[in-house]
Formats: sequence, structure tokens, C-alpha cells
Amino acid sequence: MKHSSAKVVAWQVAILVVVLSIWEWGWSLRAIAALKPLVPGILDPYFISKPSMIWTSFLKLSCLGDAAGFGACFARNDNNLWLALLVTLKNMWWGFVFGTVSGVACGLVLGRSDYLSRIFQPYVVAMNSIPRIALVPLIILMFGLGDMSKIVTAWIVVFFVVFFNTFEGTRAVDRDQIAAARLLGASEMTVLRTVVIPSALAWVFASLTPAVSFALIGVIVGEFIGAERGLGKLIIEAEARANAAEMMVAIFAMMVVGILLATIVRQLQSYLLRWQPQFEAQA
Amino acid sequence: MALAQRTRPDTPLAQAEPAREQIRVTVRNLDKRYGSGEAGVKAVDDVSFEVKQGEFVALLGPSGCGKSTILNMVAGLIPRSGGHIAIDADEVRHGDVNRKVGYVFQRDTVFPWRTVEANIGYGLEIAGVDKAERRAKVARAIETAGLGGFGAKFPRMLSGGMRQRVALMRTLIMEPEILLMDEPFGALDTHTKLEMHKTLLEIWERERQTVLFVTHDLGEALTLASRIILLSARPGRLKEDFEVPFARPRDAVALRESAEFGRLYSHIWHSLGEEFRRTKAE
Repeated sequence: MKHSSAKVVAWQVAILVVVLSIWEWGWSLRAIAALKPLVPGILDPYFISKPSMIWTSFLKLSCLGDAAGFGACFARNDNNLWLALLVTLKNMWWGFVFGTVSGVACGLVLGRSDYLSRIFQPYVVAMNSIPRIALVPLIILMFGLGDMSKIVTAWIVVFFVVFFNTFEGTRAVDRDQIAAARLLGASEMTVLRTVVIPSALAWVFASLTPAVSFALIGVIVGEFIGAERGLGKLIIEAEARANAAEMMVAIFAMMVVGILLATIVRQLQSYLLRWQPQFEAQA
Repeated sequence: MALAQRTRPDTPLAQAEPAREQIRVTVRNLDKRYGSGEAGVKAVDDVSFEVKQGEFVALLGPSGCGKSTILNMVAGLIPRSGGHIAIDADEVRHGDVNRKVGYVFQRDTVFPWRTVEANIGYGLEIAGVDKAERRAKVARAIETAGLGGFGAKFPRMLSGGMRQRVALMRTLIMEPEILLMDEPFGALDTHTKLEMHKTLLEIWERERQTVLFVTHDLGEALTLASRIILLSARPGRLKEDFEVPFARPRDAVALRESAEFGRLYSHIWHSLGEEFRRTKAE
């Protein structure tokens, strides 16, 4: 049974409206005595705020609704929403780039060499069994409260995800395809460039969507534990003032960032992997 | 003879015609065993043969007789345990690639991330042949293979038979003098296989590469080859070596329906059938 997309969208909108309405007005229903026991305590705006309050906080944090004007507000608050977003994005980006590049490089090298992969195998397993988050305080100790510690955290988180996928992808390259390339005159480097990398690319991309989320997690956790600026810092500051609305603003900002980046990765993936059947529609 | 007339005068092989008896592939006392000591298995046992310039030789034998192993040793893809293999005067060494040799796999080895054109042009591309020349050659190859209109398609949109045509042209475009084929049509259905035989015969009867063609299909060997080397069941030993008398150019379909084909088929079948029974008994 194929449902029309209009119907699907209608349902999606309906769910959104219901959820937002309960969130906004649910708590007020406690005023009616008969309904009071039906309203769960979790709806208390002290914990989850309200859409209208979140909107107000958004206007305040983003300087869009400031009486003194956008420019003055922006200059006054050095961790306004835009700057915080920018700092978090920038750190996330570099962590993602370094993590992906080094992960792909190491994955290719170890994947192509039985000798090296046997030597490094126990170390890789040992490193991978450390929960990455446990390293964050150490990283902050080493690299300070600035951007570098966030970049390194994101880097480490991304590196392992990308490394393992690239490694497996390199291992899974069809040996006969490599032999065919060799017999057509390809050198070891040409085989790597024209057979191993394109073939492993599907595996690399499979790791990039989670890698984007992991990079964001890495940076935010780093900012939680110690930072000067960033979305994570915004949340920690709001927590100190028990301001759920401001936390929600930062959380929504992260959600938007996550969606946008995942979409970009998926677009890139469907172009580069257009030879694969699952991307046929986009090709 | 009728065959020589069909050879185009502008092909290099036409000039090599006087050297027709020149030996291109030499296999001497070839051995292959897997594993060592008591647990080792002998796959190929003391096989010797030669392939002359312009010959189409089929290596025929039951499954598991080591015929693909022999071919892979000739191609230098796997090491041998004993004996000698030479292409022209050069001893074949494991891992070395000989530019004179082209190889077609049984398995689908077309690169799925390259279009049909880019697959066929792969060897020329990595050899640094310029784009215009490459494009012209690829266009001709696509024409020859009957892949017109599929040049910009990715392999996943093609049938198994068409993909194997791509693999064949990818090898042939490099103009190999010696063509090694490992059951290239083994995975195709009967009808597609026959179509491939037609195409291959057409190309070969024009260009006359030296071919070593591995197959377990007697009909295929009789249709294509000028000479058949029959191998015994494991371990592979040379059992018979004989010429296929059918005139060229051959028509893959008409040939199969001729009485002569049937007679030769049943004659060899008895010899081969014995080998099949031995394989099963083990």
C-alpha cells in the first residue's frame, strides 16, 4: 500500500501541532481541578519551558528582539547565539575534517597492509575500548579551555568511526578487481586511487553521517566540561541559572545544525556513489 | 587459406604471418600443490604444452581439475610449485604483469563505479593515452561489442552478458597479443553465451590473437577453439591434445547443428565423461 505524500505530510504537521500545543498549554490545564491529576509533572515549564518562552529566549539570545538593536546587542554579548553557533560549528568542522582525513588515511594504509594491521591491531583495539568522553578532561588539561581542546575531542571521536569503516571497506575490496586493474597495467598507487578508494568510498560514507553527529557530541561535551564560548557553554550557563528556555534554544540550534550537515553529507554521498543501486533515484 | 584472407592487412599480426609457427606460450612440467607435506593437495601435475602464434587453444577439463590454476600461473597471478612457464622467451614470474598479455575473468570484475565507457577506457586512461584517441578507441570497442547506447550507463544497469562484454572490451582495447580467458562466459545463460561466442569469434577471426581459453564446456571449446587440451580430473594432468577441424569463419549457431560437430562432441564426451565420473567418485 502506497500512501500519498500529502497524507504523510498532513500527519507530520498534525503531530507537530499536537506536541507543541500540549507543551505550550498542557501545564495550564492543572488550573481545572478535574484535569489536574491527568497532567504529568514533566510538563512543568520549570523543566521543559514552553514554546512561547523558548521563542522569547531565542529572540533575546540571537539579539533579534533586542531593544538596543542587533549590533549593540551582538557586541555586548560575546556568547550570543550566533557567536556560540559559529564557535561550535568551527570546532566541529575542524574536528570532522582532521578526523575524517586521518581516519581514511590510516584505514587505507592498515587495510592495504596485512603486516601493519597485524602489528597495530592490539593497540587499535585498546584505544578503541576507551570511552572517548572519558578523555575529555585530560584533553582540556592538555589543550586548555580554548578551541583546540574541542577540536581534538571531536577529532578523536570522528577518527575511530571513520578509521574502522575505511579499514573494513579496504579489506572488502574485490581481489579480482584489483587483479584486473593490475593486468591492465595499473601500478600499486593507481590501484589504490582507481580501485581501492572508489570501492571503499561506500564504507567511508556510511561512517560520515554518524561522524557528523559524533563531531557535534565531541565538541559539546568538551564545552560542557570547560569552555569559554559555544553552544555547550550556553547550555551550562543556562543550567546555572535554571533557565530551561535558553537550554532549549541551544538544543534546537544543535538540532538544526545536525539536520543541515547530515543533508549535505547525504547529497555528496548520493552524487559520489551514484553508481550504486540504492542511489539510483538521485543519479 | 580462408582464415588468412579475413585477416586485415593493416593489423600487425598480418605482417607476423610468416612466423605463424612461432611459440608464444610455453608450459613445461608445471606443478602446483596447495599446502605442504602429507596435508598438501596436488592440483596440477606435470603439465606441458605450447601455444603457437595465432592459435586459439581451449584448456578443457572437469570442475576442479586445475585448469584455472594453470591459466592463473601463466598470467603470473599465483606462484607455481614447479616447472617453467614462458611467454615468448621471458620466464613468467609471480606478480609480474606482461603487457603483451590480456586476461578476462570468469567473475564480474567490471568496476561498478565507472561508466561503461570509463570501464572500457580504463587501461588506456591509466597508460596516459590522450582523451581524443581514447574516446575514438572506446567508441569503436563499444560498436564491436554491440553496446551502442550504453556508453554512459553504469554497470548495474546492464545484464550479466553485457557486463561481460564490457570486461572483454576493457581487455581487448589494450590490444593484447596473448589473451588468457578464465571461463569468461561460465556464469551466463545458454542463449547469452551463444551470443558471446558469436562476438568473440568475429573479433578473433579478424584479429587472430593468441588465445588460451579455460572452460569446462565441451560445446564451447569445440565452437571457439582451434585446438583443445583435455585435462584429467584432479590432479590436473594432460590427457589429450588435438586439433579442432572445423573451418573458419565459423558460425557459432550453425556449427553446433552440424553432424560433424555432433560426432566430435560425442567422441570427446566419452573421454571427458570418464573424467567426470572420476571426479564424482572421489
